[in-house]
Amino acid sequence: MNNEEAFGKKPLHVLEKIRESLERLNEKMEVMIEIQKHGRKDIMHPLTDAPVDVMTLLSMPDHLRKTAMTLCRCGRATAEEISVQTSRARAVESAYLNQLVIMGHLKKERKGRKAYFYADRETQG
Amino acid sequence: MKTRMSKIIAVHSYKGGTGKTLLSVNLAATLAKQGKKVCLFDLDFRAPSLFAILKMENVQSWLNDYLNGACDINKVLVDLSSTISGNGKFFVGLANPATEAIRDMSAKDRKWEMRALGRLLSLRNALLNDGKFDYIIFDTSPGLQYSSINAIVTADLVVVATTSDRSDVDGTRRMLRELYNLFEKKTGLVINKVLDAASKSKRDEMDSKVKSIYQVPLLGLVPCFCDILRAEGNLIFVRDKPDHPFTKLLDEMVKKIEANDIN
Repeated sequence: MNNEEAFGKKPLHVLEKIRESLERLNEKMEVMIEIQKHGRKDIMHPLTDAPVDVMTLLSMPDHLRKTAMTLCRCGRATAEEISVQTSRARAVESAYLNQLVIMGHLKKERKGRKAYFYADRETQG
Repeated sequence: MKTRMSKIIAVHSYKGGTGKTLLSVNLAATLAKQGKKVCLFDLDFRAPSLFAILKMENVQSWLNDYLNGACDINKVLVDLSSTISGNGKFFVGLANPATEAIRDMSAKDRKWEMRALGRLLSLRNALLNDGKFDYIIFDTSPGLQYSSINAIVTADLVVVATTSDRSDVDGTRRMLRELYNLFEKKTGLVINKVLDAASKSKRDEMDSKVKSIYQVPLLGLVPCFCDILRAEGNLIFVRDKPDHPFTKLLDEMVKKIEANDIN
């Protein structure tokens, strides 16, 4: 790579970093908005290891159960993919999924720009 | 509006002795007789009964093994198609009836149950999509057992077997509200052991009772058949007694399921 190319890519790289940060900030804000809407009780006791078994699903509030059940069926999915199945907005599903991650029921993994959510069945237990 | 076709059916009840296994076996056999490719699974790990009812011998792998991650689902399936008339396919997956296996299954923790749910959910892909099965039927344990709730979460349709017994009516009503509805499951009710079911007035009375008490579609009213009691679990009625009224009732139930009339 010559100097000119390196110089041309640097601003792009910085912009990419800014966009990623903004996306993460946005996700956090979505979670905060949803928590405000439904009350804090959903995540009063965040757990580090709380598998999404059926008894946990039964005890979840309706809005989170729908998201968690859909993800259980999919195995691994983005908020966009879940929103197609639940017919709710992507931003809403993103907030619910992140709430479930904070509660310890789901895991999240980033691949490039996409965030994948999954229930970690293999490593738990 | 019609919803997704009911390809995975869980037969469940609040109490034991409501006729779940009788219903599951005959439902699966009716579908197979009609040319469908069907798999019946015994998910009643606390009191396995399909092994005895289907007079099985030399089972290589159990459903317990599949859920333990010890084998592939194809190792569990036993082909009983030759025992059913017609062009359909009838497979079963059995629960291990050995006392040690029952004890082992009763001691599983919630993380194991979570993985078991994942394995049950993956049957949709393995059997319906890859194996070209038309239907999967789960015969479950009564009440709020982990294995039963896993089956309910996996299923498209829950067929609830109940009786007119007061405690059964009360428990079934609660399960409808606090279990099937929470999981947004399509539910159809079968009332078993109904006295005087042959009379139209009795059927009308039961029909309006179901509407007011349960508020879910009625799949069928099964009279208290002495022939079924006399058979002592030795017959698959829809196969061995094709002209019996019970066989006709099962045909009617299958029609409703196939028409996807239950929402």
